[in-house]
Amino acid sequence: MRSIRLENVSKSFDGELIVENINLTIPHGKFFALLGPSGSGKTTLLRLIAGFETVDSGRIFLGDKDITNLPIHERRINTVFQNYALFPHMNVFDNVAYSLSIRKLPVDVIEQKVLKVLKSVHLEKHMYKSISQLSGGQKQRVALARAVVNEPDVLLLDEPLAALDLKLREHMLIELIELQSQLQTTFVYVTHDQFEALTVADQMAIMNDDGVIEQIGTPKEIYEFPVSSFVAKFVGTTNIFRGNIQTIHDKNYFAIDGIGLVEVMIPKDAIWAKNGIQAVMSLRPEKIEISKSPMQGFANHITGVVMSIVYHGRSTQFNVRLKNDMILSVFEQNEEHFEREVIDYDDTVNLYWQKENVVLLEK
Amino acid sequence: MRRLQASVLQELSFFFTVPALVWQLFFLFIPLAIVLLYSIVQLPEGTLTLEHYRTIINPMYFHIIFRSLVLAIVSSAACLLVGYPMAYFLALSVKRGKNFLLFLVTLPFWTSFLILIYSWYFLLEQNGIINSLLLRTGIIAEPLMLSNNVVAIFVVMLYCYLPFMIMPLYSSLEKIDPNLLEASADLGATPWQTFWRVTVPLSMPGVRTGTLLVLVPTFGEFAIPALIGGSKSLFVGSLISYFYLVARDNSLGSAFTVFSGCVLLIVALVVMYLFSRRKARIAKGYNNA
Repeated sequence: MRSIRLENVSKSFDGELIVENINLTIPHGKFFALLGPSGSGKTTLLRLIAGFETVDSGRIFLGDKDITNLPIHERRINTVFQNYALFPHMNVFDNVAYSLSIRKLPVDVIEQKVLKVLKSVHLEKHMYKSISQLSGGQKQRVALARAVVNEPDVLLLDEPLAALDLKLREHMLIELIELQSQLQTTFVYVTHDQFEALTVADQMAIMNDDGVIEQIGTPKEIYEFPVSSFVAKFVGTTNIFRGNIQTIHDKNYFAIDGIGLVEVMIPKDAIWAKNGIQAVMSLRPEKIEISKSPMQGFANHITGVVMSIVYHGRSTQFNVRLKNDMILSVFEQNEEHFEREVIDYDDTVNLYWQKENVVLLEK
Repeated sequence: MRRLQASVLQELSFFFTVPALVWQLFFLFIPLAIVLLYSIVQLPEGTLTLEHYRTIINPMYFHIIFRSLVLAIVSSAACLLVGYPMAYFLALSVKRGKNFLLFLVTLPFWTSFLILIYSWYFLLEQNGIINSLLLRTGIIAEPLMLSNNVVAIFVVMLYCYLPFMIMPLYSSLEKIDPNLLEASADLGATPWQTFWRVTVPLSMPGVRTGTLLVLVPTFGEFAIPALIGGSKSLFVGSLISYFYLVARDNSLGSAFTVFSGCVLLIVALVVMYLFSRRKARIAKGYNNA
């Protein structure tokens, strides 16, 4: 088993608590993303797993084995560094061969393994180049190849794509997913970029600014059913309303100052959500239908005035001022299958959404 | 416009090198040419001759050059062995007070070289501080021969030239990205393996500069052998000064200077080659196309 288990792990630097009492299980053979804002301690957590830092308290397990005090070089865990950390005095081949030669494998075995992994990252043509001759994307691939050639139990990736441009990043994400499914190694991917995390992860954890894990789940669970407004705001874009819950004739409503009641659905397990409780409502911009003419079949309807329009290419974002002066973001797909009405600045628009598409949150 | 500015700047930057070039011309290249000329001209006739070199090619002079070379190499090696751990510690282990420790290392620079050597002289001589202390405390009955021998020269050489080794070593060790050392450990290397496979190869520029900075001046060092080594041990520096100042034989002095200079140049090139940052080869069997 190559799962990672953290039990009550805490770490502070210079008296400042960076990660606090973390309990986390990273499942065997999965692509796991650790998502959080800068300074949330996710890199520290990664460094604790790798062994570059020692825990103040708590334990770390690899499978059933306690690796809390195991030296770095004895952990079967390899890291892809944010700045790649390639050895400048070695060429591509020797960088990749480093861990194998440390293990004193026979030269022909080393050659065979290095060639195989270089082929899988499409670098076999460049294997005798020195590191300074490579582009950013190629360096990234060398770092990846070097880390996986030794077949580690766990591969840690610390914001590995941060230095690449958008096109290359999207491309590398796909390659990473393919590599992971090919190797079946546990990947732990640290990033502050929600798009990357949602793209690659089988499972993900969201860390907040205080170094506490707010939610663990699949990307879809996290996106559709965030457990806190922090998660809702951090993963994707959302509109946050504050108000209180009201139950009238077995129907649940959310009362918002200056707007009135909107109908909501309360899941059965949300036992905290009682009549009269203060709560937060999250409504994703793409769940809202915007139209100048009236529409049928929606649970909720409010009106507003278009303040600004931002064209994003695949979608258009309308920022609409509501009656209570709150600005609501609405995304509309630019599918352009049919001629559609033109919505312009200062137009009064109708906004519709279903009660199932809002998420009620305690905080 | 910008290109024009750049080219003007380039012209200007050349202009600023003129004083240094003039200085070098008058105080390095012209004197060097004079020395070269002296060594191949028969005085007072003024005819070209190789006679001086024929005199220099003599086992006695070879012996002196060899002795200086051994002393220089041993001093450089000792400086490297003592200096590397210090530079390593300063560059990679010290977190606080680094500048203060660096200041302490460079402290000998702040004193005149001659005063340093004289201090050692007073420390080591027969009636010197060490001997009188030991005599007074009754540890020894007879004064020890601390100076006037090669070991004393070696010790003072090490003392005086150590900072020249530490500074370049420090600057090249400090440039090593700590992530590289972490990456090495991460890939399974023990601290010892990391040291030999990553730290040492990456610090080679510092090793090379430091070795040359010690090797070249110690080879021709004149003051230390003269003051600490006494009159018995002749080295290249002392012999050259003997030719010029005592024997007043500019021709032989020049020939010997040129000859020993060539020897030093060859040794320096060998050092450069040995300590060049050659590519670390892990797998030797594959074809390096």
